[in-house]
Amino acid sequence: MKPLLMKSPARRKGAPHRTTGSRILATSAIAMSVAAFAAAPSASATAKNASSVTTITWWASPISTSGPDLRKVLIADFEKAYPNIKVNLQTAPTDTDTNRADLVTTISGGANTPDVFMGDVIWPGQFGAHSLALSLTKVMPKSFFSRFASGLVAGATYNGQVYGAPFFQDQGFLYYRTDLLKAAGMAVPTTWQQLQTDAVTLVKANKVKYGFVWEGDAYEGGTCDFMEYYADTGGQVLNASDSASVLNLADVTKVLTFMRGLVTSGASPQAVDTFQEPEAAAAFQDGDAAFIRNWDYQYAAAQAKGSDVIGKVGVAPLPTFAGGEAYPGYSNIGGWNLYINPHSKNVSADTSFINYMTGTAAETVMATQFSEIPTNAAVRANPAVARLNPPFAVLAKTRLVPRPAQNPNYPKISQAIYTNMNSALAGSTSPSKAATDMASQLSAALGSSGL
Amino acid sequence: MLAPTEIAPGPPATLPGPPRVSHEDLIRRNLARLGWGFTAPALIVIAAFTIFPILFSIIVSFEKVNVSGSGFSFSGLTASNYSIVIKAALWHHALWFTTLYTVVTVLSEIVLGTLFALVLERLTAGRGPMMALLLIPWSLITVVSAELWGYIYNSSYGLLEGLFPNVLGHPFSATIALMVADIWKTTPFVTIIVLAGLVMIPTELFEASEVDGAGGWKTFWRVTLPLLRPTLGIAVLFRVLQAFGLFDLPYVLTTGGPGTSTESLAMLAYNTMFTDLDFGPGTAVATSTALIVLVMSLVFLRVFKAQVGKETPNA
Repeated sequence: MKPLLMKSPARRKGAPHRTTGSRILATSAIAMSVAAFAAAPSASATAKNASSVTTITWWASPISTSGPDLRKVLIADFEKAYPNIKVNLQTAPTDTDTNRADLVTTISGGANTPDVFMGDVIWPGQFGAHSLALSLTKVMPKSFFSRFASGLVAGATYNGQVYGAPFFQDQGFLYYRTDLLKAAGMAVPTTWQQLQTDAVTLVKANKVKYGFVWEGDAYEGGTCDFMEYYADTGGQVLNASDSASVLNLADVTKVLTFMRGLVTSGASPQAVDTFQEPEAAAAFQDGDAAFIRNWDYQYAAAQAKGSDVIGKVGVAPLPTFAGGEAYPGYSNIGGWNLYINPHSKNVSADTSFINYMTGTAAETVMATQFSEIPTNAAVRANPAVARLNPPFAVLAKTRLVPRPAQNPNYPKISQAIYTNMNSALAGSTSPSKAATDMASQLSAALGSSGL
Repeated sequence: MLAPTEIAPGPPATLPGPPRVSHEDLIRRNLARLGWGFTAPALIVIAAFTIFPILFSIIVSFEKVNVSGSGFSFSGLTASNYSIVIKAALWHHALWFTTLYTVVTVLSEIVLGTLFALVLERLTAGRGPMMALLLIPWSLITVVSAELWGYIYNSSYGLLEGLFPNVLGHPFSATIALMVADIWKTTPFVTIIVLAGLVMIPTELFEASEVDGAGGWKTFWRVTLPLLRPTLGIAVLFRVLQAFGLFDLPYVLTTGGPGTSTESLAMLAYNTMFTDLDFGPGTAVATSTALIVLVMSLVFLRVFKAQVGKETPNA
């Protein structure tokens, strides 16, 4: 199965994670933050009389896939807090590229709806360069941006303007089978080499079918996984001004050789070059894999009904290369931002909406009831939130690496990375040839001189 | 496209007296005007939704295009989009892959479709249900059938996994896998067309060849096949046009991978336009693809016409 859902790394699969405790926590947080917003003069709808109701359209793909619809829950809360604004939910395609194609034609065609759209974290460069999103720097007070966890606003910035408000975050984690590791007397691996050795040992001993599963297909998620290994060597893709390639051929070759080695050594299945999140998650949840690299929803999904590994899953930061960067290794940043359509006629209502959705109330609901990593630093720091979801407890220990998405040609940059990574992984190109191909396609992408 | 030039002439036989050319002309002209009036709505729709987009994309392919929140802006005519395309290794590969894919699938479908049609034509009982069964693959939307093939090919839980592990993980086997899915889906279409052609062949010809002592094999090569030629020509034309526009199968099954080994021209055009927002080079890929198909079809029609002219059934 290759469900259209989850084709992008930021696509969700996790079952909602609900507890009574979390509900109480969320309710009290809502009460607190509504009071806080009422006092905040910044973007909240100011003293409009009740008769003038503004309706805005929110374009968002489904976030939760089972249980109540997170989007509708948040909208209902918002409308309660802002009775003068009604939100009309427009469901976006679940495939991130189709989603973008629809938005590009809609916005470049001059449509004033949707007013606010939920878009991938890798869009700010492209959308900023093509004026497909309104600069939030121009419509939000400076203080607004200080609520987010560090690094997120920088990731949503292009040319000094912030285009997206971080809505929820995602990142790579290493999940492992606690029972298998314990029985074999293994510690959680801190280096990629150790992970490979452990995986091979477990497979050879017939303890498990696959050692380590991850996302190696030729798609955006392949770039995410590659960036993690590559950052662990100390490598960077673009220079500080995001304008030129600084790809280190030796490091890329080293990474690709290691990735291919995972397959040839038997640590990862041959088929990992066709794995996206659903395939990798299926293998892990069926009890067929000892380790998996996946996004934050994997923990909840592995504990949900239908999983064969309930109660046998641990989570840790990703490993690093022995002789490379220090432990922990880098995790790639995924997730979604909220953007404003530059043609929107209701910018003040849009800003109120974004203010609410990234505020403590909404972010607490997302974190406690839907297992999403909050972007709001205050919510993230709340120990009660961290207790509810084990990956959150690991968050503070992880190190993040963004994809080189600040360049407006990012889609081509990413294609240069994932297609060549995938060729090397499949064994159809040697790692060194794939590395030089990657470098030359990267230069072509940056110079806009190729397809 | 729908130019109504062939307006039925007025009924001259009913006109009494000597033929009055001017009156006839008047009627004809009125009828023609009426014809244009009736077809105008359809023509306007076609102009708006087919002709305008085609012309627009040809124009765009010669422009430096910038997409922005305020729409498309053009800055000057240029041929650079085409030079970018022609120099690009991605385009070379996509052209090679699409051509190979078209040749192999269309040839296989024609051979298999003809065989199926021959069998179906001889079936004395159950032809209806068999036809209905055959049409199921054809009637499935390609995206749906691609998802179904995904269950078969999937490398972690696919039905074929035990027999051919990781089919979609190697360029060669992924190409074959896509071709198989296409042949499975489209052979019924060829079968139906060829069956229609078979039914049209007069039975006397078969009887005559039997009387002349020709065996089944000889009858097929000398009678059936030459008479099927126009039908096969149509089938090939339809299939080539469709196969060259290959998009949904690889989009769903391989996303063009491993690497870019199964990226078709249509996928390349789509990615260039809607992922990279490079509408100039993207429309250049699309326009050049259409041009290639057009030239191929014209050449094919000419060759095919010449052959039909030469060959007359003489069994």
